[in-house]
Amino acid sequence: MSIEIENIHKQFGDFTALQDVTLSIPSGELVALLGPSGSGKTTLLRIIAGLETPDRGRIIFNGEDTTDRHVRERKVGFVFQHYALFKHMTVFDNVAFGLNVRPSGTRPSKSAITEKVMELLRLVQLEGMAKRYPSQLSGGQRQRIALARALAVEPQVLLLDEPFGALDAQVRAELRRWLRKLHDEIHVTSVFVTHDQEEALEVADRIVVMNRGGIEQAGTPDQVYEHPANPFVLNFLGNVNLFHGRMFQGEAQMGGIRVDAPGYAGADNAPAVAYVRSHDIEIDRSQVDATALKAEIRHIQKLGPSVRVTLNLEGNGGFIEAELTRDIFQTLGLQQGEQVFVRPRQVRVFVEDYQI
Amino acid sequence: MPAPTTTYTRKTPGGRRITEPALVRWGLTAIALAFLALFLALPLAAVFSQAFEKGFAVYLAAIREPDTLSSVKLTLITAAVAVPLNLVFGVMASWAIAKFSFPGKNLLITLIDLPFSVSPVISGLIYVLIFGRQGWLGPFLEAHDIRIVFAVPGIILATIFVTFPFIARELIPLMESQGKDEEEAALVLGASGLQTFFRVTFPNIKWGIIYGVILCNARAMGEFGAVSVVSGHIRGSTNTVPLHVEILYNEYNYTAAFAVASLLAFLALVTLMIKTIAEWKVREQLE
Amino acid sequence: MKFIKHNNVLPGFGPTMGYTLLYLSLIVLIPLSALVFKTAGLSWHDFISTVTEPRVLASYRITFGAALAAAGINAVFGVLVAWVLVRYPFPGRRLVDALVDLPFALPTAVAGITLATVYSANGWIGKHLEPHGIKVAFTPLGIIIAMTFIGLPFVVRTVQPVIEELDAEIEEAAACLGANRWQTFRRVLFPLLTPSVLTGFALAFARGVGEYGSIIFIAGNMPMVSEITPLIIITKLEQYDYQGATAVATVMLVASFLMLLVINLLQRWSRRYAG
Repeated sequence: MSIEIENIHKQFGDFTALQDVTLSIPSGELVALLGPSGSGKTTLLRIIAGLETPDRGRIIFNGEDTTDRHVRERKVGFVFQHYALFKHMTVFDNVAFGLNVRPSGTRPSKSAITEKVMELLRLVQLEGMAKRYPSQLSGGQRQRIALARALAVEPQVLLLDEPFGALDAQVRAELRRWLRKLHDEIHVTSVFVTHDQEEALEVADRIVVMNRGGIEQAGTPDQVYEHPANPFVLNFLGNVNLFHGRMFQGEAQMGGIRVDAPGYAGADNAPAVAYVRSHDIEIDRSQVDATALKAEIRHIQKLGPSVRVTLNLEGNGGFIEAELTRDIFQTLGLQQGEQVFVRPRQVRVFVEDYQI
Repeated sequence: MPAPTTTYTRKTPGGRRITEPALVRWGLTAIALAFLALFLALPLAAVFSQAFEKGFAVYLAAIREPDTLSSVKLTLITAAVAVPLNLVFGVMASWAIAKFSFPGKNLLITLIDLPFSVSPVISGLIYVLIFGRQGWLGPFLEAHDIRIVFAVPGIILATIFVTFPFIARELIPLMESQGKDEEEAALVLGASGLQTFFRVTFPNIKWGIIYGVILCNARAMGEFGAVSVVSGHIRGSTNTVPLHVEILYNEYNYTAAFAVASLLAFLALVTLMIKTIAEWKVREQLE
Repeated sequence: MKFIKHNNVLPGFGPTMGYTLLYLSLIVLIPLSALVFKTAGLSWHDFISTVTEPRVLASYRITFGAALAAAGINAVFGVLVAWVLVRYPFPGRRLVDALVDLPFALPTAVAGITLATVYSANGWIGKHLEPHGIKVAFTPLGIIIAMTFIGLPFVVRTVQPVIEELDAEIEEAAACLGANRWQTFRRVLFPLLTPSVLTGFALAFARGVGEYGSIIFIAGNMPMVSEITPLIIITKLEQYDYQGATAVATVMLVASFLMLLVINLLQRWSRRYAG
């Protein structure tokens, strides 16, 4: 089922949580709402669910306006950040809850409920846990039960609030892949909230980057990563180095770096910032071309498969970070204190406060 | 005045490295225990000792006396009316206060706590001022031959007043600490309001309710000052158990007074026991 | 109440809030306002002369003085009891912990006759005090004893959770910086406990001022010497002096509202380091 979000506005006292947000989510996709805390992503999710009422705007499910429909009747599955499992019920009763509370006319028979619950427990790979209580489960297991409970009512939309936020790194990575696989199996339109860019890039079909109650960019993971719409998106997705400079005749000039920025042709002398991701910085022993800048290696940090090198640029004295693979690092045989040349492979230029 | 709120995060002592020298620890423990023995344990023991001073037969006779039995009956009736009414109020008020945000919430909580800050004597007096012969409704009630103060309804009203905050003030912090995640989850899964309350909220506050009810009941059965003001002090008809104890004591019938008092002391001990269990359960539930 | 519903999907706010306000008004607010209206019917001159009769003034002195003394005793021993209960495990600790609430659970009349008996000249404690010339029953000292009894749990239960919540790291930090235990307690822990001790003190004081049942049996109730203010109200009522009873009750009510205000301010102050 598709979801249309139209001009949603939400205010909490003086705080604007969402500012006229418009977004369309195609049927069957797995969408990540990505942003820092306070960006309004959870509020948007809760408004889609009907747990929060917007001040203005409409929520449309499959062409049907559901803005005023009560959460009970929306048929959404919601997975809460801290699971919100019913502590006093067994795993089985938690998953069966949504079916058990149906009015007697539409409630499935006892055996049908049992069958459905066991099927869902198989789906989340926790068949053996039916009689346990939530307190006897690990964090990852609780999360999967919360998901099974949400799926029991056969929701048209699955909404997940920071689904992996409370888990440790390894379980998180595992569950992430598992969620992706699950979604490929059941294909229910799903929206999840996260502040972890890696999680969004790995799991989602589409990423919606949010900031200060608005949408900065929406697109596939490749689109937002390769073609960030603005400095915020660029900054939020990955480590970046900043080079400050000015625009001259459609060219951004910062120190030795000159980059064509035809989009900003009319902005002569405007302050410009060039952004270079740390893994887009190449390190050479010799000056390959004119764009290469002289720098001194100040610090080397090995991070598993990659190596982070902190360099001090000659001249303006700024620090930049480069991320190399271990292979390249070893081939070059870099040492602390050495003089090298750095070359940005890919530079993105944004002119401050310039409207294209 | 507000009684201290119960907290649900108790850690067991021990396992600390940094502490006082053993001598200091033992000394302080001894002083604290001596103080408690003198002020709490000794009077408690005295109640039962005095009650059984003249033997079990005398004790039993004092309790079986018709006036005593009728005072027990009145006390039971009073609690049976006051406690359920305050329970319904407590659950309603805590739902509205703990699960919703609205302006003036703190003022409302302070107003609910008000009966704790009022002297029991004043709690009785206000009902005399309304329903008494010279009170607001006095002439009307007299014309229709309805007696409220110096009769059973007055006793019940005064008891409701003094026990008013008990259940609400227990449930409000408990429900606030539980948040509304589980209720929201139930609603998303299609539960109705009542289903959400009885299947999700109620099991979570069950022990909190028991805690509040048991304390409310102890006060309802034991209230003296407020009830003393509105009671007609008529033996066998408007005397609750605590008032009956007073009468027996003032008649120098000490053994009978303590025999009846021992019933109330026993009630207090049962109350403390259930309260301790409930506290333990509530804490367990919050973990 | 539409602006509230907007933020919350949980049902039932209207009915529960409506019932809460109705019940609160019927049981508490309207009856209490009767007292205010009745007092407003008195002339200022009558009111002042009633509440400043020598016998009434003496009762204020006795009531507030004894409550102050009892709250002071409780502040010292209550903190000690709370500290011992939290920090020093000993056999039967849970039982003792439960017993601390006895004054909440034991009906005041029972406490009253028991304390009067125990402290009378031939009672368990009284007979040991009498030879030393210490009279407790039927003197202001008895009033202090009764108020100490009923006020004890207030201090213990206010201070105890604060001691439990004290972060062990704070004391470890103090120790690492070279402080001995006494210095740590005096300079680090005590300042953290002070607000709760003051709150407990104020609660015990307020409870003592209003208390009636546990005091009248042990006090002796001699006018000018050991007569408490609540008893004055009762006496006036029994003489059908409704106006007089109301006037004195109003003074007490104002006093307890002031204490309520102080307690609320103390509790706000005690949270000033929170968060």
